Amino acid sequence: MSDFGFHLAFWALAAMTLGGASMILISRNLIHAVIWLVMSMLGIAGLYLTLSADFIAVVQVLIYVGAISVLMLFAIMLTPRAERDNSQTKISAPAGLVVLLVMIATMWVAVDTDWGPVRDGALTEQARLIGESLIKHYILPFEIGAVLLTAALVGAIALARQDEEDGPVHAASLQAELDGETSIDPADVIDPPLASEPSDGGTTS
Amino acid sequence: MSGLSGFSSVLGAWYDFRDLNNLQRLITEWIAEWGPDWIASIVTGVLGALAILGVIGPTLLILIWVERKVIARFQQRYGPNRVGPKGLLQPVADAVKLILKEQLAPRSADKLLFFLPPVLIFVPGILIWGVLPFGPRMSVADLNVGVLFLLAVSGTAVLVLFMAGWSSNNKYALFGAMRAVAMSISYEVPMVLALLTLVVFSGTMSVNGIVEWQQQEDVIFILLFPLSAVAFFFAASAELNRTPADISEAESEIVAGYHTEYSGMRFGLFYAVELGNTLVVSGFIATFFLGGWWLWGLDQWVPSWIILLVKTGAVYFLLIWTRGTLPRLRVDQLMGFCWKALVPATLLFVVVAFVERTLLISEGWDTTVALPIMAVFNIALTLGAVMLFARVSRPAALRRPARIRMAGAEIGGLRAARQVASRTEEPQFQVGGD
Repeated sequence: MSDFGFHLAFWALAAMTLGGASMILISRNLIHAVIWLVMSMLGIAGLYLTLSADFIAVVQVLIYVGAISVLMLFAIMLTPRAERDNSQTKISAPAGLVVLLVMIATMWVAVDTDWGPVRDGALTEQARLIGESLIKHYILPFEIGAVLLTAALVGAIALARQDEEDGPVHAASLQAELDGETSIDPADVIDPPLASEPSDGGTTS
Repeated sequence: MSGLSGFSSVLGAWYDFRDLNNLQRLITEWIAEWGPDWIASIVTGVLGALAILGVIGPTLLILIWVERKVIARFQQRYGPNRVGPKGLLQPVADAVKLILKEQLAPRSADKLLFFLPPVLIFVPGILIWGVLPFGPRMSVADLNVGVLFLLAVSGTAVLVLFMAGWSSNNKYALFGAMRAVAMSISYEVPMVLALLTLVVFSGTMSVNGIVEWQQQEDVIFILLFPLSAVAFFFAASAELNRTPADISEAESEIVAGYHTEYSGMRFGLFYAVELGNTLVVSGFIATFFLGGWWLWGLDQWVPSWIILLVKTGAVYFLLIWTRGTLPRLRVDQLMGFCWKALVPATLLFVVVAFVERTLLISEGWDTTVALPIMAVFNIALTLGAVMLFARVSRPAALRRPARIRMAGAEIGGLRAARQVASRTEEPQFQVGGD
């Protein structure tokens, strides 16, 4: 592709990315902020495309736009008492400091690295190359990531299961508190016993 | 690939309608003679988009009629038969009505996010057509990562549905949106795993590459991995909000789901994109599992895109069939089916694909001998898995059919079933008629 088309794409995508990112900060509504974040992510995916990294671009859309942002929306919707507006909190200042440090570190790496043009043009078969380097060269980080994800999975299941077991009892004890009772037998709540009913069913009538 | 020995003189000419790519290539070459190549890329992109839109638009109008007519036949009705011959003009009349209707917006709706979704929903709906190969060289963009592109683009659609449901500021719309999101998150997993089977086995992520692999090995993937095909079919119909899994717009529960507040043509746009997505998903099922534009050498004599369209039509009919006959699943049943049945089953077949691929590549088994054996093994494994699922998942009251069930208990319902099931004495009543 010629220089003009490339530059047009780059500047348009950069404007999209930065515009989306600044709208996250400006918008007052948390859901709007997530939507702007999606726009920013799409811009980054487009920037990857201009670098001929189509695998990473598509994975960026798949993971960040299709999954992470949806999970964010889900988390916002499922926490009923969370603030819906993008308001100030007490941790704004330390969070800003951390972000600033990360930005300085990234910029430093970006400036310090000796970026040279790729010699052989765009890589084809990127998925194969990435897979091979993950399995051969970067096997330890890969395995650490796998262990981390598994731990997160197990943790999520543990949390969910605990909730499910405690759920009915908890609700019942809340109800009991409302009714003025002090204690309640969990066995009565979870499953009403069938033994108390007429054992011979239809014969009685 | 599309070489036709008898008519080799017209091969590659612009009027060679077997490969519509020829026309586009001619235009590109003509532009390259006088202009910079970015004009050529832009013209190519615009031509591709126009071709897609030009095909989808009229097809949708016909498909609405086909779907209503076929479903009517399934339900022993006539279907639309008043407007035009055989009711053929009914979709046109509907479209005119939708355009003329007033566009209402709730006063408390989030204005920007309420107006955007009917437009935005078109973006993934159109983009997804780009990687569908209608022939050996006939896809708008034959990406190296076509399969991932398909998943990525279809995953973004749910975001738009969420925007629609949330911005309406309506409880039912929000319920629909939440259900759509939950279902999309869940059903993306078996969908990805089913496609991973194919990617692992054929060793390519290009959609056209998968078709070419099937052509090369003379086999279609539904024979090799039937369970992946079924899982993909069901997961796709869930992502499409088709009836066995349309809990996000279940009209008997939550009015119309995420598009409850949309009226007139805004609703019409949602409807149109949904139909278009159904069509393209049928196309992808035909491509991945039924060989796409290839059919055991028939593609030498019939234009490849006609073969793909026929296969797409067959899959589309299957989708209408399931919609017309299966009852809607409950939310928890749908999620349970995904996580407890589809995910383990597709995961099993990913492992099977890994092993078989290793046997073929590293051990160097002869594909002409090994592939039929693997096909038979996989089909047997699929049947076993389905029978195991049927055995495990049937209701507790049905597990011991020799016993009396439901009759003889005055309370009825689940409690009666449990009570009857817990009984050990002789059955006292005849089960009449059932």
